[in-house]
Amino acid sequence: MRTLLILTVAGGSVAHATLTPLVSIAGVTPDIPLIMVVLLALRRGPEFGCLTGFVTGLLQDAAGGGLIGVQAMTKAVIGFGIGVAGGRLRVSQPLVQVPGLVVLTIAEGLARFALLQVFRFPAPFGELMTYVVLPQALCNGFVGAAFVLALAWTQTLRDHFEGSRP
Amino acid sequence: MNIRKVVLLGSLVAACLLLLTLQTRGYGSTARDFFAVVTMPIQTGLAKASRATFGLWDTYIDWKNVRAENRRLRAEVQGLRVGALRVTETDDENRRLRRLLALQENLPLTTLSGEIIAREWGGWIRSLTVNRGRGDNVPRLTAVISPNGLIGRVVDVRLGVSIVQVLTDPTSIVGAHVLRTRTPGIVEGDPRGTLRFKFMARDGASIQSGDMLVTAGQGGLFPRGIPIGTVRSIDNRGAALFHYADLTPAVDFARVDEVLLVTGDSQRDRDLTAFFTTGG
Repeated sequence: MRTLLILTVAGGSVAHATLTPLVSIAGVTPDIPLIMVVLLALRRGPEFGCLTGFVTGLLQDAAGGGLIGVQAMTKAVIGFGIGVAGGRLRVSQPLVQVPGLVVLTIAEGLARFALLQVFRFPAPFGELMTYVVLPQALCNGFVGAAFVLALAWTQTLRDHFEGSRP
Repeated sequence: MNIRKVVLLGSLVAACLLLLTLQTRGYGSTARDFFAVVTMPIQTGLAKASRATFGLWDTYIDWKNVRAENRRLRAEVQGLRVGALRVTETDDENRRLRRLLALQENLPLTTLSGEIIAREWGGWIRSLTVNRGRGDNVPRLTAVISPNGLIGRVVDVRLGVSIVQVLTDPTSIVGAHVLRTRTPGIVEGDPRGTLRFKFMARDGASIQSGDMLVTAGQGGLFPRGIPIGTVRSIDNRGAALFHYADLTPAVDFARVDEVLLVTGDSQRDRDLTAFFTTGG
C-alpha cells in the first residue's frame, strides 16, 4: 500500500508536468499534486503530508524547469500545516476542504512568489496572481471537490462491502 | 507537537533553502542534472504513453470521421452520377432535336415534328406511335423521317396519335434505288425485323456491300432521295430473275425518339439525299 502510495505521489508529480496541457480547462491547469498533498495530509497526518509535499514539490520543480526547491518547500509546509490542522480543527468536511483548497492554492502562490523574491527570481506579482494563481485556485477548488466526492464514494463502497462480509 | 515532526519539517525546509541557495550561487546545473536522471525516464515514458493513447484516440476519431465522410461522399457520388446521367440524357436529346430542327429547316418540304410515345415490336407488326394525330391534320400514308433517313409511313391516324408502319414491318414495301448505280428495286421488311432489297438480276450485277439505298420517289408516296439503308450482303440466287440484298437500316428504329412527318411535298421531284446524314 505504501509503495503504491509512493509511486502514485512520485509518478503523479512528474506526470503533472507532462500531462498538464491535456487536463487544462480553458487554459487553466489544476495543481493536482497540491490537491493530492492536502487530501493525503488530512488523512495521514503532518509527517506524511510534509514528506509527500516535499517529494511532489521537488519532482514538480525538477520536471517543470524552475528553481528546484521552491514548490518542494511550499508544499512541504502546506502538507505539514494541513496535517496538523486536520488533527485539531474540523477540516475533514468536504464543505471545508474545497474552499480550503482555494485558499491554500492562493497561499501557496504567495509563498512561492515570496521565495522567488528572496532568491531574486523575476516574477510580476499582479499578473501572476490575476492570470495564474487565482484561476488555478478556483480550478483546484472544482477538481478538489471532484476528488473529495470520489473518495467519499469509494469509502462508502468499501464500508458497504466490509459491512456485508460475515 | 511532537519534536520529531518539527525536525522533519525543519530539515526539509532547510534542504529546500540549501538547494535554492546552491542554484542562485551557480550550482544549479548539478542539482538539475541529478533530478533529471530521476525525472527524465518517467517523463519520456509518460509522454510516449500519452502520445500513443491520444494517437490511438485520434486514429479512432479519424476512422469515425472517414466512415462518415465516406458515407457522405458515396451519397454525393450517387447524386452526381444521377445528375451526370440526366445531363447526358438532356445533352443527347438536345443534339437529336437540333439535328431534327436543322433537317426540318433545310428540307424543301412541309414537315411536322413528333415524338415517339410507343413501339410495337412483336414481329407480326412493327410500328411506332407518334404523338401527332387527327388534330394536327396528319394525312394517312404520310412519310415519316428522321435526320438519318426514312422510318416508314403513317398507316393509321387517330385522335392525338398516329401509327407509323416501320420499314422493317413484314408488309412494308418501298420503292428504292442504289445511290451509286441507280439500280431500282423494292425494299421489303421481313418477319425477322430486317430489311432486304429485291432487284432484278440483270440490273444489279454491280451492287456492292456498303452501297446506299434511297427512296426512288416513284408512286407519289415518299419523296425522292431519302436514305433507307446500306447493303450488308448480297444473296446471289444464280439464274433466278430476282436477287436480294440484305440491308442495314439507316435509322435505328428501336432508338429513334423524335421524327418528322412529311405533311406537304411541293418539290416532289427534287432529290433529298444531300439533306440527310448518310452513313448512320
